[in-house]
Order: sequence, then C-alpha cells, then structure tokens
Amino acid sequence: MSARSLSRRDALRAAAAAVAILATRGAMAQGTSGADSTASPNGPTDGSSGSNLFAMNQGAARTVQRPPKPGVKPHVSDAERDQVEKKLRCQCGCTLDVYTCRTTDFACEVSPAMHRDINELIAGGYGAQEIIDAFVGSYGEKVLMAPTKSGFNLVGWTMPFGAVLVGGGLLALLLRRWRRRGALAAAGRATSPSPGAIPGVDASADELARVEAAVRGDDR
Amino acid sequence: MILIGELSLWVAVVMAAWTTTVSFAGGKLRRADLIASGERGLYSTFALVLLAAIGLWTALLSHDFSLEYVASNTSRNMPGVYVFAAFWGGQAGSLLFWALILSFFSTLAVLTSRGRSREMMPWVTGTLGIVILFFLLTACLGANPYTRLPFVPLDGRGLNPQLQNPGMAIHPPNLYLGYVATTIPFAFAIGALVTRRLDNEWLAAVRRWALVSWFFLTVGITLGMWWAYVELGWGGYWAWDPVENASFLPWLTGTAFLHSIMIQEKRGMLKKWNVVLVVATFLLAILGTFITRSGIISSVHAFAQSPVGNWFAGFLIVAIAATTILVMTRLRDLEAPVTLESMASREAAFLYNNLLLCGIAFSVLWGTLFPILSEWVRGTKITVGPPFFNAVNIPLGLALLALTGVGPLIAWRRASVSNLKRQFVAPAISGVAVAALLLALGMRDPYALVSYTLGGFVAATIIQEFVKGTRARRAIHGEALPIALARLVARNRRRYGGYVVHLGIVVLFAAFAGMAFKQENDVTLKPGESFTAKDPWGHQWRFVSQGVSRFEASNRDVLAIGLDTYRDGKRIGVMTSEQRQYRDSRGNPTFNPSTEVGIHGTLKEDTYVVLAGVTGDETAELRISFNPLVWWVWYGGGIMAIGGLIVMWPAAERRKPNSGYRASLAPNAELAEAR
Repeated sequence: MSARSLSRRDALRAAAAAVAILATRGAMAQGTSGADSTASPNGPTDGSSGSNLFAMNQGAARTVQRPPKPGVKPHVSDAERDQVEKKLRCQCGCTLDVYTCRTTDFACEVSPAMHRDINELIAGGYGAQEIIDAFVGSYGEKVLMAPTKSGFNLVGWTMPFGAVLVGGGLLALLLRRWRRRGALAAAGRATSPSPGAIPGVDASADELARVEAAVRGDDR
Repeated sequence: MILIGELSLWVAVVMAAWTTTVSFAGGKLRRADLIASGERGLYSTFALVLLAAIGLWTALLSHDFSLEYVASNTSRNMPGVYVFAAFWGGQAGSLLFWALILSFFSTLAVLTSRGRSREMMPWVTGTLGIVILFFLLTACLGANPYTRLPFVPLDGRGLNPQLQNPGMAIHPPNLYLGYVATTIPFAFAIGALVTRRLDNEWLAAVRRWALVSWFFLTVGITLGMWWAYVELGWGGYWAWDPVENASFLPWLTGTAFLHSIMIQEKRGMLKKWNVVLVVATFLLAILGTFITRSGIISSVHAFAQSPVGNWFAGFLIVAIAATTILVMTRLRDLEAPVTLESMASREAAFLYNNLLLCGIAFSVLWGTLFPILSEWVRGTKITVGPPFFNAVNIPLGLALLALTGVGPLIAWRRASVSNLKRQFVAPAISGVAVAALLLALGMRDPYALVSYTLGGFVAATIIQEFVKGTRARRAIHGEALPIALARLVARNRRRYGGYVVHLGIVVLFAAFAGMAFKQENDVTLKPGESFTAKDPWGHQWRFVSQGVSRFEASNRDVLAIGLDTYRDGKRIGVMTSEQRQYRDSRGNPTFNPSTEVGIHGTLKEDTYVVLAGVTGDETAELRISFNPLVWWVWYGGGIMAIGGLIVMWPAAERRKPNSGYRASLAPNAELAEAR
C-alpha cells in the first residue's frame, strides 16, 4: 500500500516537474514584450525611454514650420498659447496635452520641441487656429486631444447621446406599456372582482392562483 | 518553499480543472458525490494558490533574484513594504494575486451558500472553477512569476519609483478585489440561467457580493486618483485614460445593478435586466483587464504590449458567446408580470437612473474604443481625450446627480402632488438659494453653477431625511438626539447607508466642479527671484526661490527646489518639489528620473508645485497651480466608502422592521421574506 502510494506520488511529482520545465521553456522561448518582463534586471529599460510608466518615443517630434507672415505682428498671448497647447497632444506616448506634459515631465523631449514650434509660429504671426491646423497637417488628426466635429467623427460625438436617446425612447415605450397594463389591472379590480378573489385581500385571481401553485409546489 | 509554491501553482491548475469538470458533471447528473468533490476541489485550489502565493512572497522577501519576476520588480535596498507589494506590481505576480483573491472569494461564497440553492450551486462552483482555471493557466503559460533567469544577478532592478507610494501599494489590490468580486454574482447568474431558477433566490445570494465589488472598486478608484494626483505630477486626478475608464465601467454597471435589484425585490420587475447587468459587470471587468494588459489602446499604464492580452481576448469572446446563448435561450423564463402605475414613481426614477448610468458606461466604452473603430473605418488615427469625455459625460452626470435627489424620496407606485410637495419644496428652495448665492458671488461657469445648485438640492433631500427620521425616533422613543440618529442609521442601514453614499456623490461633484476654476502658471525662477499670483479665492500668493539643491538619499539622488511660500503676506513655509533618480545598492541608476510634487493642501484648494526642469545651474522651470477643492475628492470617496460599509454591515440583515425594501409589493418578490 505504502509502496503504491509512494510510486503514485513520485509519478505525480515527476509529471508536475516535467510540465513546469516545459512551460518555463515555453515562456522563455515565447519571448516577452511586456513592460515589466522585457526589463533587464539592472539599469534603465533602454536609451529611448524617458518614462517609467510607458514606452516613451523621444523621436516622435516632427518639425512644424511655416514662413513668417509678412507684415503681421505676433498676436497670440501667452494664455492663448497655453490654450492651444492644451488642445494638442504630446506625441511621446504620455496621453497628456503639450502644455501639461512639458510642464510635468522633464524627461520628455517631444513636448518641448512642439512648444518651440508653437512659439515660432506665434512669432511668425500665425493665429491659434492656424497653428492647430499646421500641427494637424504635420502629425495628422491624432495630434488633437479630441476628434474634430466633422465627417465620421460625428458618429463618435453623437453616438453616446444617440444611445441615451434611443434607450430613453425604448424605456418610455416600455413604461407606457407597463402603465397601460397597470391601469387595466386596476380598472379590472375596481369594476369586477374576478372570480376566486378573496374579499379583503388585494390580489387578482391570477395572483392568488400563482400563490396557491407555489404553496403546493406545482412549479417544481 | 519557493519550489513548493511553484509546484503548487501547477497542481492548482489541475485542481481547478477537476473542480470545474466534476461540478458541472455533478450538476448535470445530479450526483451528490461529484458535487461535494467539486466543492472540496475548490477549497483545495484555494489552498494550493495560497501556497503558490506564499512561495512567491518568500522569493520576494528573501531576494531570490534567480526568479525573473523578483529581479525585475525588487532590489535589495527597497523598503520592505514595497518588496511585499511588488507581488502585485508586475504582470505575472498580479495574475497570481488575482487567482489568489478569486479562489479565496469563491471559497467564501460557496461556504456561505452551503445548504442553500442546492440545484444551482454545482453550476456556481463550476463557473468559479473555470474562471480560476483561466487565471491560473494565464499565470502559468502567459506570464509565469516563477520563470527563472539563466543567471543570478547580484541585485534586482527594483520597483518602478512611481509605484513606490503608499497609494500604489493599496490601490491595485483594492481594484483587483473589486474586479474579482464581480465573478461571484456572475457565477450565480450563470447557475440561475443554467438551472432556470430565475426567481429572486439568486439575487439574494449576489447582492452582498455586488456590494463588496462596488465597495472595493470605489476605494480602488479613489486611491488611484490620489496616487495619480500626488505622484504623476500632471496636476489632476482623472485623465480618462483607457485604464482608468476600464475600472470605471464595471463600477457604473455595478451601481446600476445595486439600484435595479431593489425594483426586482420590491416589484418583481426587471429580471432580464438584472441578469444582463450582472453579466455585463463581469465582462467589463475582464474587458478592462484586457485593455490594461494587452496594450491595444495607448495608455500611461504599464503591462503594455503583453501576450497575456490575447488570453484575455480569447476568454472574453468565449464568455460573451456563452452568456449570450444562455440568456437568449432563457428569455421566456425571465418574463415577469410587470405593471407600472405612474411615470412619477420610485421604480420609474430608478429606471431613469439605470438609463443614465448605462448611458455613461456606454459613452465611456465608446470613447475608449472609438480610436480603434476610426482606424478601422477611415485608416486614420485619432485621439479621444478628456475634451470628448467631459463634453459627453458632464451633462449625463449632472442629470444623474439630479436623480440622486429625486429617486430615494419619490413614492413607490405613484407619487401624489402632496408627496412631491412634502418631499421636494425645501430641497428645491435650498438648491435655488445656493445658485443665487453663487451668482451673487460672481460665479458664471454654467456647469459649475448647475452642479452646485443640484448639489444643494440633493444634500438638502438627504439632510431632510435624516432630520425627519431622527425626529420621528425622538418622538416615539424619547431618545436623545445622538442616540436617535445612531439608531436610525443602525436599524435602517440599507436606506441610510445609501443616503451616505449619495452624500459622498454630492461632495465628489462639488470637487469636480471646483476644478473648473483651476489656475496654472508656467514659471521660471532664479535663486532669490519670486513669483506672485492670485488664487481663485482671491488670496495673494508669493513664492520665493531658495535655489536648487542636489543631495543623496537612501536609494536615490535628488534634485530639489525650495520655495519660501507666503499667502496674503503670511509665511506658510517652504514648499519643495523634487526630481529623483533611483539607484540600486551598487549605485547604478534604476529606471528613469521621476518627479515628486510639492503640495500644500487645504479644504479650499491645493497649491501644487512641479519642478519641470532646471536650466543652467540654478534656474528652475516650474508649474505652480491652484487646484480648488481637491481634498473634497478624497473626502467624497471616503464618505461613499463609509456609506457602502454601513449598507454591507451584516447585522442589517437580521433586523426586521423598516429596513428599506423588506416589504414586497409583488407576488414573486419573495426575496425580502426569504432573507
């Protein structure tokens, strides 16, 4: 008996060990790109990264330059510039706007570069919307913190309200139906007490029948 | 112990598979021996996962750097508490941690339901087993915490410095507890669907677990906001990041469920809807995990670009397909005799509440996934950031805030004019008074004005309820005021706990509206130079640079700025902000430099200083912000958590009279009595 259980235990142990070795090999062979598993045991992750939380792309800045407008003086104030920067997304991967990133993350080289471009465009006489358009021209729509309200993006903007409206409409229809049913039931009770109703008990014959069935266990 | 832990993890996989198989077989064949074996299998799985967890903790605390997980997430000079917390700081460990909590909760749920719901329980156990099996398989084959390195480094890399924060040590486990707890109601819903026992029996079993999930999600989200605010340095607490959204989604549907369950208890309505909400909450928790760990959507959170995401995607697809089939084949069993007397009734108000909560959940999910859809349809990458989420969710949120005041006070079945007048005249006057006062003080931001007006209204409805209840107790029992108040809450925990949660919501909305008046200043200061600014409350602030200093602390090099700070001419003290470069025990840099924010917090506002950079030798580039009412966020979250605890407190179940929704109005709403 003891020999048998011992051998079974040994077999289990051997099987578990074999599975563990295979799986470990599999996991190592698979190669991992996870943020926490790619890291070398010592030292910063790699040269390109400047953040501890996400893979920062320090080379994401593109040059956004326009020739200065002849005869036009800079007319965008610092406050307006900050507002423009809050509408533009830093491209380093942080998901922050340019203003917040450049005043938060000293490791980022992208938002300061974008800030410099914005300052140069302002100095060249460009207005807030023109600067935003110039950035969209260079980086594409992804540089905006929110989608434009045109074309397919309108689907994005209107869908949440549309869903609530449709949901609200369906709910209104349901409520009306339930209310009609409730009104009919109430009218039925008021005018003709259904056969089988018990005086003094506020329940329809159908409800009483269900109670009786439940008590008898018919529904089991 | 480490080897035992590693082996236990694999044996736990086998045990979870056994639990699932015999539980389902026991349920199908109605064999008590198989059902009992399934239950014991579940308990054994928990014991084995616990051993696996103890093994990993042993490896972490003994600095066994032969394990890749230990080497990647800890170092010898890390404070012990963070070495302990590193268990859930990385991908592989957090998966094991998830399996640990899930097997513990499952064991608790099955133990506390023994002898009840006998037909349903094997299916519940089997469903729990299958979810545990999935997490264990993912932990074994997708990201194994016991993976060994080909060499043993002298020291580890350490935990990400931005995760070395008390909030980060507590925030993820709370979120995991919240996510994991959604599995229990889901398993009961599956059990109820399979056995077609879709009366209120399964709801009785899941209500407390739904509350547990809601409580931990609330605490986890609040702590996450706090961590982001004090640690990341961007000056806010909520950025609508996909991973934040992922935690918010199950909270929203879970909250909707906690409201709609009352209608089923009271009126026997909404059977289908409640099943859908329970299933959706679980699936959204899994979807959130998929978003967090797959890197499919750009986020500031770690775990990016991991193969583990594929596991979650597969599980999600299978779970959606299985539950959809189950629900569709049971639609007739979910029919309920529904009647409604008036659109102005509490049940109708709860339905509006569900509409808005699910509407917000949809808009958050839609906004999170819309960049992917846009790329598919147009081939154009776009960003859906805070401007979108704020524009869409603020109106919906304000409508929800209004309902928070209306819902609990309006009468069941039909609200009469006298009921409406009695309940709402004083709160409406309070709301209008708040609006008038703020307008007179010069507030013009429309959303903030609406928010505070509704806040005044809702707060007044809550205070009115407490005053009425306390007065009634004093009149009937002749109790002193504090005793009457305490007993009022203690004997009606579900109702008054709910009011406390609503009060927390009001405080949160007040805090959110306060951020409309946030002021940010981009400042460059040389030593001795000063910067002066007026905050949103009209106080005059002056910050005098004391220069930049460099020094070494225990495990880091620090670059710090000191600002001598004055408010209205009175010295507050020295505010400091730092850049830190962490080093391992041999002095090598670990990770990249990180920011330490300087915060001077009061109930009115936070003064928030970030050292953004240093040019030349001593010129500091700073962002100095005034963030109004930020403390109200932490208080609001705390009040909500306290309210949740009051509602959950077990003694409330034993009390007979006046506990909110005990009396049934519908024939099949036997839940209250069954409890």
